[in-house]
Amino acid sequence: MSTYVLMRILESAPRRYELGIRLLTLGRLEKTYDRLANHIERGQQVLDLGCGMGALTLHAAERGAKVKGIDINAQMLEIAGQRVREAGLMETVDLVEMGVAELDGEEAQHYDAVMSGLCFSELSEDELTYTLKEVTRILQPGGLLLIADEIKPQGLVKRLIHSLIRVPLAALTYVITQQTTHPTSNLSERVTDAGLSIVSAHLSPLGSFGEFVAQKPAGASS
Amino acid sequence: MKHLKFFLITVVQTLLRVLPFPCKTGLAKIGNPGRNAPVLLTGNFRLTVERVRRALEGIDAYLLVANSGGVNVWCAATGGHLTNHDVVSVLKTSGIENLVNHRQVILPQLAATGIEGKIIHKKTGWKVVWGPVYATSIPRFLSRGLEKTVEMRTVSFSWPQRLEMAVAWAFPISVLSLLVFPFWREGVLPLVGFVWGWAFLIFLSFPLYQERIGTTGTGKNIGFIFFNFGERGLLLFLWVLFMLSLVGYTTLAGDFSWALAFRWGLSSLIVVLILGLDLTGSTPVHKSGLHEDRLLSIALYAERCEGASFCEQVCPTDVFEVDYDRQLASLCRAEQCVQCGACIVQCPFDALYFRSLMGDVVAPDTVRRFKLNLLGNRKVASRPAGTE
Repeated sequence: MSTYVLMRILESAPRRYELGIRLLTLGRLEKTYDRLANHIERGQQVLDLGCGMGALTLHAAERGAKVKGIDINAQMLEIAGQRVREAGLMETVDLVEMGVAELDGEEAQHYDAVMSGLCFSELSEDELTYTLKEVTRILQPGGLLLIADEIKPQGLVKRLIHSLIRVPLAALTYVITQQTTHPTSNLSERVTDAGLSIVSAHLSPLGSFGEFVAQKPAGASS
Repeated sequence: MKHLKFFLITVVQTLLRVLPFPCKTGLAKIGNPGRNAPVLLTGNFRLTVERVRRALEGIDAYLLVANSGGVNVWCAATGGHLTNHDVVSVLKTSGIENLVNHRQVILPQLAATGIEGKIIHKKTGWKVVWGPVYATSIPRFLSRGLEKTVEMRTVSFSWPQRLEMAVAWAFPISVLSLLVFPFWREGVLPLVGFVWGWAFLIFLSFPLYQERIGTTGTGKNIGFIFFNFGERGLLLFLWVLFMLSLVGYTTLAGDFSWALAFRWGLSSLIVVLILGLDLTGSTPVHKSGLHEDRLLSIALYAERCEGASFCEQVCPTDVFEVDYDRQLASLCRAEQCVQCGACIVQCPFDALYFRSLMGDVVAPDTVRRFKLNLLGNRKVASRPAGTE
């Protein structure tokens, strides 16, 4: 036998992934993460879904929160761990190799905030529905869900322009990293359906990248 | 219509076999499954899913499609694209838990190189049962009460599969051979013809010479791959025959020229070398001649073995015999091992391992954590976070 996956000759190295993601998001990620992390306060319990190499995790930890970062990619977690050590934040950051499907092991109403940077667009439909349900359960009443992700633009014209820009970009990204993402459609509706309310939403001019802050109603019990 | 679609998918994905073809993940109903219907799982390579569906026609069952990155189950599980995470995820997020009364999922046997039943059970409560190697055996596997015959758990390289491999290699190489167009216009078509002819020749006649090409790790194959004369010696001999007959023919026909002989010699040699690059690895029944794993052999710590027979159940080349009285497995047909590592990954006692020619040990934990990439290096794919 042999493992022939020629398109993946080059292993999915984390560094190349980062480059690819920068390409796909046209470099706007860093500012977005800054803005999202502004919602985090000292001493809060925070969960970072799909933390990857720890960009969002570090933002939150630097603001004094206790952060648990989860990801299924062990190579990325290793780099995240290295960055956490370099930043001297070992005490407040916990990195765990686990998928969103294991969120049912988390205690109910435990977190003040759940963050997701470019994680939802890597999930299947089923996984996203499941994740949003679990996030609602593990958030404290009044807790926040902070999202930065690729989304499908609304409206035919925007969609068309977006495809024109994205298709070559995605092709290039795939060649370099053998990675691609699947922009989520109706993300804000799906968040609302899960029982959270959207506090603020910022879309890129084309509506292809979104920053959302959603809140669990203060009176909610689960 | 259904048959036409199946036919088209088969053709396209055989021509482009080296590329991944992802399809939708999640839960699919086959027939009218009830609360006790069997639950089967496969990867999201489009062709695989279509074949499993076809094999299950007339059976009521649930089919879970896990994310394998659009890669076939064996390559994906061995290369780290179909992992425990993917199986856990589809079991827990697809809603299957609410649809059946039992907690037993049938996985393709070839996924045993990357999926650990123990971890799946711990994380989800589902018990993993290793199904047959080929989807076509699933109905018989179900009707036999989930018992496998030797044939159902063994890979083969029958003529339809050899045909598929010939096409899968010939197509991309003939696309590559279009590169000669600017230099040698009239040579393109004959060269493409040569590529297809050669591919069919070496794959269809495979049983005739396979006895002579075993890469049993005798050390003969070490070194730069082009000097691997174990198998390529035969191919080079055939190539010399081809060139001699070409020269003979053109001389008799009176249009021999050195330029022509040189062009044909070079281009056909390149085709022969590419197609012979990893002939054994292109078959499911031999180890790869390319990977460093070819220099390993499977070995047993007899004192750890308790005869649980996981190895026998997941081995695709029927290497093992288990003596149930003595509660001990033995490597009766070790020479058939293709180095997939499934037995090592599954052994609950860590009793199996790879041993190199120099006597180095590749421990079970390494085989579980490090997945095999194209070049045969075991790279990190899954290691507990926080460890160095």
